Amino acid sequence: MTSQGAVRALAGGLGVVVGLVGCAIVTALVLVSLGLPAASRAEDSPAPDASPPPPPSVLVVALSLGDPVLQAGIVRDGHIVYARGLEVEVARALAQRLGIPHVRLLYVPPGSRQLTAATRSWDVMLGAFRPSRSESSLADLSDPYLGTDQAVVLRHGLARPSALADLRTRALCAMRGSAAARAIDVGVAPVRRPMLPAKPERLLELIETGVCDAAIVDASSVGRFVAGHGARLGPIAARIAFGDGYVVSVTREGAVTAEQASTALSRMRADGTMHRLARAWLGIDPARLRLLE
Amino acid sequence: MTGSTANLFRVKRSALLVTVGCLLLLPGSTGAASVWFVSEGKPVAVERNVATIEQSVRQLLAGPTSAEQARGLRTAVPRASTLRSVTVRHRVVTVDLGLRFAAGRDPEALRARIGQLVRTVRGVPGVRAVRILIEGGTPVGLFPGYDLRRPVAAANDPVVHAPTTRDVQQRLVDLGFMAATGLTGAVDTQTSTAVLGFQKWAGLYRDGSLGEETVAALGRATRPEPKWHADGRRIEVQLRRQLALLIQDDKVVRAVHISSGAYGKTPTGSFRVYRKERYSWSVPFKVWLPWASYFSGGVAFHEFGSVPTYAASHGCVRVNHYDAAVLFGFAEMGTPVDVFDEAAS
Repeated sequence: MTSQGAVRALAGGLGVVVGLVGCAIVTALVLVSLGLPAASRAEDSPAPDASPPPPPSVLVVALSLGDPVLQAGIVRDGHIVYARGLEVEVARALAQRLGIPHVRLLYVPPGSRQLTAATRSWDVMLGAFRPSRSESSLADLSDPYLGTDQAVVLRHGLARPSALADLRTRALCAMRGSAAARAIDVGVAPVRRPMLPAKPERLLELIETGVCDAAIVDASSVGRFVAGHGARLGPIAARIAFGDGYVVSVTREGAVTAEQASTALSRMRADGTMHRLARAWLGIDPARLRLLE
Repeated sequence: MTGSTANLFRVKRSALLVTVGCLLLLPGSTGAASVWFVSEGKPVAVERNVATIEQSVRQLLAGPTSAEQARGLRTAVPRASTLRSVTVRHRVVTVDLGLRFAAGRDPEALRARIGQLVRTVRGVPGVRAVRILIEGGTPVGLFPGYDLRRPVAAANDPVVHAPTTRDVQQRLVDLGFMAATGLTGAVDTQTSTAVLGFQKWAGLYRDGSLGEETVAALGRATRPEPKWHADGRRIEVQLRRQLALLIQDDKVVRAVHISSGAYGKTPTGSFRVYRKERYSWSVPFKVWLPWASYFSGGVAFHEFGSVPTYAASHGCVRVNHYDAAVLFGFAEMGTPVDVFDEAAS
């Protein structure tokens, strides 16, 4: 064999080797793209008893703001630069319980298209909402952190009702078109037609003067309703179960699951965090009112 | 329009345009201006010599002077609130404030401070609206009663006004001292009768007039409460107050201005209505007694022309004209009647 022949043979051999390696790589890539390399994948997947992944460093909370007590703030260039309210505090406490060190607040105006967008840029949203079918496919709901029950404010001198039936013969009043008005219809079914004033000032007058025996008011706002008028009103005697409550809506692909959120909220209730926050922002803790049945 | 009037109109219009133009060209420029504070819940303006809108706002943030405070002027703006900037564009003034301006949770105070700011800035001639920013951002939900996502054209404070006669009458109706037929809007004898009943209940001087003290007491009054608690229908006659309370299921449905027997001639104790007559002839006094409901011997509730503020009858319970038929209808046969001296019982 001449040197030229030897070189040619070597080159031919190398070509075969390169060709075989290339084929192997292409085959491997094809198999990977088809999702078939089962043997190698089994080694990569975590063992069943492995510890869960560490929590994310930021919990992105969507807020629509607009309620001075629940969530209000300052929006600059679409970002919330300052926020306060019960739900803001709940979101921060929730992140703390989940071991997430930072909370980023994202402004999502009510009625925004982002609410029904297929992909969402936040992890959780707080509020009293019943999601539509399309929203249900994108998010899970936690257990309630605050009820949407209705509080019973008595007129001066009236004995506390011991059961829902005690309210049926009483003169009841509530704001026209409110959840409280619906709760009277659905939950109490009074003998007499309830009085439904259009203005909160008139509702207050009706209960102060005893025209109404009991005013039915959203339990989350009853603290504000009675503030400054306590001497002219009877006690906030009880609550009537109504609605689904205020919940955390958890985005499916987000940092936390609804179950995790529910567990954290449950712990916050147990250790008194929710009671403290409710007292601070609502004036009373609606959960501590006796439930009329 | 004559030529001279048209010229005058044109001159005035030109002057206005120049004024507005100056305002727009020199942002924040103004003259003597009103700065708004509050007194007893009502907005009150004070005049200040200021050269610019910015100075007006700074005067507002500084609060009333000691002399003004002595006159009862207050501010809902938190002390040490800061101003970041004032700009004017298309007659809309943008006021950018520090976070301290949003301090506190009292809804009335939060609402009042926006009212003060809007009145102060909006009072400058040519200003159409006020945009309020906090730390350069838009406050959302921080100030109850205002949507600050868009410029505010007018203050939105709750209207605080002296109650009208109709307001007072509505209160008397709500509290059970008058029938809804008394909602006339005019001070008449029915209103005066109801006011007498209220004055008796509240322990006020009994003159039947809507004086300052009576109106104030009505504003903070609650419904009269029975002395004794029991279900069903009953009547309490409170001799010291000279009031009859018509009570249904422990709730006073009407408080009635009466006059009982002078010198304790109306017997005290528990009785029941046992005889009712639309017109009852009084044999001893030879007079017709309309709407009579007897509850003890010859003692009855009945209508009488004269129902003074004190005990004046021969023993019966005189009832005023406006409530006599109501009491007669309420006092069914067998209705319990408790007559007592509140101080003694």
